[in-house]
Amino acid sequence: MENAQVVTANMTQNKEQKSKSLWRHAFETLMKDKMAVAAIAIFIIYSIIALLTSVDIIAGDWAKEVGASYSPPSVENWFGTDIFGRSVVAKTLKGTQVAMSIGLFTATLSAIIGIILGSIAGYYGGKVDEIIVWFYTTFSSIPGIMLLVAITFILGKGLVAVYLALGLTSWVSLCRLIRGEVIRHKDREYVHAATAIGGGDFRKLFMHILPNVLHIVIINFSLQFQVAIKSEVILSYLGLGVQGRPSWGTMIDDAKLELARGVWWQLAAATFAMFVIVLSLNILGDALRDALDPKLKGK
Amino acid sequence: MKKMITILLSLGLVLGLSSCTKKEISNEKVLNLAVSAKIKGMDPIYANDLYSSNEVARVYEGLLEYHYLKRPYTLVPNLAEALPTVSDDGMTYTFKIKQGVKFHDDKAFPNAKGRELTAEDFVYSIKRLADPKLQSLGWWLLDGKIKGLNEWRDKYADQPKVDYTEEVEGLKTVDRYTLQFTLAKPFPQFLYALAMPFTFAVAKEVVDHYGSEFINHPVGTGPFVLPEFKQTNMIVYTKNPTFRKKTFPAEASDEFKEMLADAGKQLPLVDKVVVNILVESQPRWLNFQKGKIDYIGIPKDNFDSAVIPGKGITDDLKAKGINLTVTPSLDVTYTAFNHDNKLFGNEKLRQAMSAAFDPYTANKLFYNDTALPAQSVVPPGIAGHIDGYKNPFIGPNVELAKKLLADAGFPEGKGLPEITYDCPSSTISRQIGEFFKQQMAKIGVNIKVVQNPWPELQKKIKNRTVMLYGIAWGADYPDAENFLQLLYGPNKSPGANGSGFNNEEFNKLFKTAAVLQDSPERTALYEKMNRIAAEKVPWIFGVHRQSYVLFHSWVKNYINADFNAGQAQYLNVDIKAKQEAIKKL
Repeated sequence: MENAQVVTANMTQNKEQKSKSLWRHAFETLMKDKMAVAAIAIFIIYSIIALLTSVDIIAGDWAKEVGASYSPPSVENWFGTDIFGRSVVAKTLKGTQVAMSIGLFTATLSAIIGIILGSIAGYYGGKVDEIIVWFYTTFSSIPGIMLLVAITFILGKGLVAVYLALGLTSWVSLCRLIRGEVIRHKDREYVHAATAIGGGDFRKLFMHILPNVLHIVIINFSLQFQVAIKSEVILSYLGLGVQGRPSWGTMIDDAKLELARGVWWQLAAATFAMFVIVLSLNILGDALRDALDPKLKGK
Repeated sequence: MKKMITILLSLGLVLGLSSCTKKEISNEKVLNLAVSAKIKGMDPIYANDLYSSNEVARVYEGLLEYHYLKRPYTLVPNLAEALPTVSDDGMTYTFKIKQGVKFHDDKAFPNAKGRELTAEDFVYSIKRLADPKLQSLGWWLLDGKIKGLNEWRDKYADQPKVDYTEEVEGLKTVDRYTLQFTLAKPFPQFLYALAMPFTFAVAKEVVDHYGSEFINHPVGTGPFVLPEFKQTNMIVYTKNPTFRKKTFPAEASDEFKEMLADAGKQLPLVDKVVVNILVESQPRWLNFQKGKIDYIGIPKDNFDSAVIPGKGITDDLKAKGINLTVTPSLDVTYTAFNHDNKLFGNEKLRQAMSAAFDPYTANKLFYNDTALPAQSVVPPGIAGHIDGYKNPFIGPNVELAKKLLADAGFPEGKGLPEITYDCPSSTISRQIGEFFKQQMAKIGVNIKVVQNPWPELQKKIKNRTVMLYGIAWGADYPDAENFLQLLYGPNKSPGANGSGFNNEEFNKLFKTAAVLQDSPERTALYEKMNRIAAEKVPWIFGVHRQSYVLFHSWVKNYINADFNAGQAQYLNVDIKAKQEAIKKL
């Protein structure tokens, strides 16, 4: 008896060590990666800036003239002024709000569509699968930028239109991945077990299978986030993006003409801001994959 | 919308040239030009933009043209033998056309020899312009103007084949070389229409031979030949070997007197014209500086490095022998109110917004301080413009604006809804929109800028779903009528009056003036209308632009003109001077 108790205790101890959940394990892996921590910090800083600008605590007066038209960087205006004498720094900060909100909404929207369509297709198979696969194959064969332009034409201009346009065009890759994973998982024993105790389709799909493929969603989310930021810049550059407030895209659009007269600061500020966040999100995406993908574990 | 053009356009219209060093060794005179847009094709009836009409006019010709060296613009015969005889009622125009004018040699003709041009060719060409099946882009020019032509067009609209042999009453040949037009209503601008590429002469054999490919096979009577047009970035024209005797003019207005050195010489003066299509302004600018382009409109953002305000070009460019020519363009930029919108029926509100707008700062920001703030609709340089007139509602006058706004019933902008401002989607248009928003904010008027692709904007204006929109108008011909028609009530969109301004007095004056020949009486009416347009503020007036063009020392006879489609034949290249000058570049 004593022996047995000791053994049991030992086993329990061992189990506790080994049974660290996937998420906990991933979190620890992530925290060990210094680059990833820095990336997360930057992401948080950008988010805070975006929040503060949206309530006008910082850069609320971006539209104010602070100097002459096109005055170069100085102590008062670190990145100079634009054509109307407005501070480029303030515009860049205000642009953060647009970029971050677009990243968030778009990545969320595309994740929702991707998860729903992907898991339904993978789980039910047959005709449902065929229809969804046909749909996204067709959809993805349309050149992305064309589709974006077409959608913004239909939806009109403005921030909401950009959210929708980007969200509605960027779900295909996630949908594919989820579908594949769900197909792999649906014949696993734990799903059969769930069936045996009377679990319905919905329960099996969303309570059992989905948590097991969620890491793909998270990785995809962080990558989608930065793709959306870049796409917004492209849309605004093409004159289809955000209207009536600064965004990095419109700043770069301004800069394409200004460069000929030697005005580089607007381009520099916007690209620098974009570079930092896009790089961070890329690093974060990589780190998340390393941490979450079971296949890479232990490498 | 005819020749409506976007506000941004610029100083930098077009040209430059590229030459290749090897060719300079030969004594061939090559004119190297650059254009900033793709050419749609070489069919006169589709040449509704500046760029294609310029190309069309190198190969094709019309009855009339503008005298190259005379200002104000004067029409002179081109394919016509002389100016027409006009009947006393001003309704019948009889043209004698030149004899012995040959079309370019082409395989569409028997033995591949170009045949002689006859009056019948003009009847055919103008019917083509009216052909309901071809959807020409220039029909507006003659719509309702020539007797029987509208009926002919309508009759064949639903029939499978258009019958060109059916005679149209107002479009007749009297004999092989005599052509007679009868108008349906007085149209004093008719002769200008005959100098526009839309009405240039094409040959029926060629159209039939090439069918839908005709647009790529220009065969005209003009000074240059282009065997086949391809969508490439370079178009090379050669001198027409069978060109009729046409010489450089022997008379000139005072400012062009020094160009008479070439007087009497057979045209064209160069052997070859190379047109480079360079859409981006930077390559155009660099090619010009290397001497590969003969002349160029200065791109907006290179302006500072080329021109010192008030002093002309920089010493650096001067040392290279580069010359600058500055000419006012016959155009006006404006922000139009949609007069269908009840809000803008309030005249005081319109005046208030006009007074709040600062055209002087706009001029500095967007036109390098080279444009002329507009007081009304008619630009300087044509009859109808009132020299020295100051529109009382032109800003910046924030105090007056605030007072007017209060009088209008919206003190400090209270009670006003958000007003949308529609503009094209280019960068500069957006910046102009932002500037407008800023200006209106000073008196409490809240503006939202909406960017649209160009076709979309035109559609919105046509369907009257805009509140305010920013746009520009460039002259089709040198007559104030072309500008004043933009405010003539019955011309309401889909006609040219996009704003829908409708003022009884103005309409009455316009109707009277529209049928008058050029006379002091008509000018007085034009001025009266121009004044009404200023004080009623149907638009917020912007500026009349000026074009700044640089040209190299070896280019002779260069004049920057609004109506210069056939210009290449008059230009000359001094090969020796070019060899010298190019060393300094």
